[in-house]
Amino acid sequence: MTATGTRPPARLPGTPSRPARAGRAGAPRRTSARRRRNRWIGLGFAAPGLLLYGYVVLVPLLQSVQYSFFRWDGVTQAVWVGLENYTRFLTDPELRSTFGHVLVLVGFFSLLPIALGLLSAALLTRTRLPGMAAFRWIYFLPQVMTSIVIALVFKRIYAPEGPLNEALRAVGLGSLARSWLGDFTWALPSLGMIGTWAGFGFCMVLFISGASSIPPELYEAARMDGAGPVREFFAVTLPGLRGQLAVALTLTITGALRTFDLVWITTRGGPGTSTLTPAVALYRAAFQNPQVGQAAAIGVVMALLCLLIALTITRLSEKD
Amino acid sequence: MKEHRARLVLGTTAVLSLLAVAGCTPGGSTTTDDSSSAVSDDVAAAGDVTLRLSDFWGSAEGEWIDAMIEQFESEYPNVTIDRTTEDWGQLTSTLNLQLQDPDGPDIASANNGWQSLGTLARGNLVRNLDDYAELYGWDDEVPTTIARQNQFTTDFTTIGSGSWFATPLARGSLIGLYYNVEKLDALGLEPPQTLDDLEAAATAAADAGEIPFAYGSVDGGTAVLLGVQAMLADKDALNDFIYDDPDVSAADTALTEAATTIKAWADAGWFTPSYEGIDYQTAVANFLDGQGVFRFEYTGSLGLAGDQLNQFGYVQLAQDSGSTVGVGAAPGAMVISSSCEHPDVAAAFLDHLMSAEGSQTAVDIGLVPMLNTDVTLPDDALSLQGEATATQTLDADDGYVPYIDWASPTLLDTITQNMQLLYAGKVTPEQLTEAVEADRTAFLEELGQDS
Repeated sequence: MTATGTRPPARLPGTPSRPARAGRAGAPRRTSARRRRNRWIGLGFAAPGLLLYGYVVLVPLLQSVQYSFFRWDGVTQAVWVGLENYTRFLTDPELRSTFGHVLVLVGFFSLLPIALGLLSAALLTRTRLPGMAAFRWIYFLPQVMTSIVIALVFKRIYAPEGPLNEALRAVGLGSLARSWLGDFTWALPSLGMIGTWAGFGFCMVLFISGASSIPPELYEAARMDGAGPVREFFAVTLPGLRGQLAVALTLTITGALRTFDLVWITTRGGPGTSTLTPAVALYRAAFQNPQVGQAAAIGVVMALLCLLIALTITRLSEKD
Repeated sequence: MKEHRARLVLGTTAVLSLLAVAGCTPGGSTTTDDSSSAVSDDVAAAGDVTLRLSDFWGSAEGEWIDAMIEQFESEYPNVTIDRTTEDWGQLTSTLNLQLQDPDGPDIASANNGWQSLGTLARGNLVRNLDDYAELYGWDDEVPTTIARQNQFTTDFTTIGSGSWFATPLARGSLIGLYYNVEKLDALGLEPPQTLDDLEAAATAAADAGEIPFAYGSVDGGTAVLLGVQAMLADKDALNDFIYDDPDVSAADTALTEAATTIKAWADAGWFTPSYEGIDYQTAVANFLDGQGVFRFEYTGSLGLAGDQLNQFGYVQLAQDSGSTVGVGAAPGAMVISSSCEHPDVAAAFLDHLMSAEGSQTAVDIGLVPMLNTDVTLPDDALSLQGEATATQTLDADDGYVPYIDWASPTLLDTITQNMQLLYAGKVTPEQLTEAVEADRTAFLEELGQDS
């Protein structure tokens, strides 16, 4: 339902194909006719795939949009309610609060891992340490673990008698020990930290590979001009990583918006509603309570948000 | 040219989606002929029949249904029952789709209440069973408080009266109090029989350095509230509230009093330390490990087996009046699909699932019997004896109240959230009751709009 937006969107028609068109203008007409025929043949080859895509992606997408205008329990006759499901999503205090929670999660799932990833990439690319591959491997590990496993592991870590509290007590900070996931103030940041841990390695590996494609001459030139490590980072590394930054931002922000599994396994949105996310609200509406229309409206809004974010980031990163 | 085509595609998509949105309405009732042809209990005359059964029972419960199928098939060799089992959440969330499928199940276990059974009945997906209720005499045999759990009025505005749309089972599921036999003995206490007894025992346990209640609230833990509520509430008021009688409000169901009670327990330190960070599974494991004297729990959820059956006991605490009221129901509402071609055979099977044989089979496997009193209990299974005694008392007192979340699909979430707020001191017991009332009112309004 909200699967759109996980990938950076395809280029918009018109914008990026300018050089190609300029080249075509000078070509003789005959080629252009053949090319057009080829294009139809190409479309013929693509048709089965396109049809399948349309059937499994576009049709359900349109259905979701359609459902979102009805009050429907999934079985009986639906009742047309216009935009009611949308307005409720934006006005109901409980549903509206999910936006605030997601914003916090964006900080933990996206900004923090990216900042840490940049920092570690800058550190690791400056000097060649022996065993670098091992570092990368360790930090990247969370990325290959199922989120369910991660959630279960952290549920243990955050438990009242879990390792985190034990560690705090062991170093004399017992007053800081608490029920991390049952605490109204700390439950959301605690969930956020799981995301930071899981996403950091991915960002780091992405940035390291990006940094390795920056021409070394640029660094040499910068050093020649007397740039320190900080200056070098902002003048060379960061601009060189613009593409990777766009990818990391798109993936992590949309990932934060879609947070479901972590919350479902650890807190189910509690305590109270302090960790309720739109995706959890969507799941509850669709599968626990027969409010399919409401669930569809949440899904549509989330999909649009993801699309908007992805588009904005792509636009920004391609601008000179 | 390129721009043109893009615009064409966009336009077509827009038109198509508009058509899709405006044109047809999702859902719609499948037509069924209710020209109820004469019903019969003559299964042998039905010829070779295969019925598809979908249910959500695993482990011991799965063993029970398998045994019931075997008994039925050996009595009627012309009948084959083809059983599929799915996880509870999986089945309850997809049953509406499965019943619309021509190859879907003939018989299925549904969840009671509006959330599942009510929606299926309203959507004409399950059969009205009144003619079979008459044929088999269910109205006389099943206690009213259990029968109501399967009934809806045919205009689907009211749950808890009207026509039968499902049947219960010869076994039950209750909320009640489990106790640790060894710990209670060590404290020199008898198993409590009333709420006052329980509080006295909890005080003694706390004084002796024991944890009175094994508990965790991070992902739910509503059994304690609902269990206490049943001890305090007027049975009829609570039943009517859950069956969405608009004249009864949440405040009439002793919910505030129950919330006040458990908040006092929490504040007195009677729950497991850091209970707000403990999840359900851990709380159960703690109790079984001997951390805690008492635990309010759904029967069957502790998974007691072997020696544990004697290490833990079960009581259904009586109300002050002396009669017993308890949250309880069959662990599933058995429905027959509207499109089932052999409803006579299916109904005979449902009747078999309510039989005395069914209760005895349940006991033999270690499950709680219901609806039938004449069962032989094993003499070395204390908790099972307690549970069976409880259903017999509740059968006799007609003292069942349904699970509160039947009143509105969102109610259990609302209660869970508000209990967490209550423990944290962010809402008062009165506000918890108000939240429950508001939740149900909103649902009633929606029901009213639909009909």
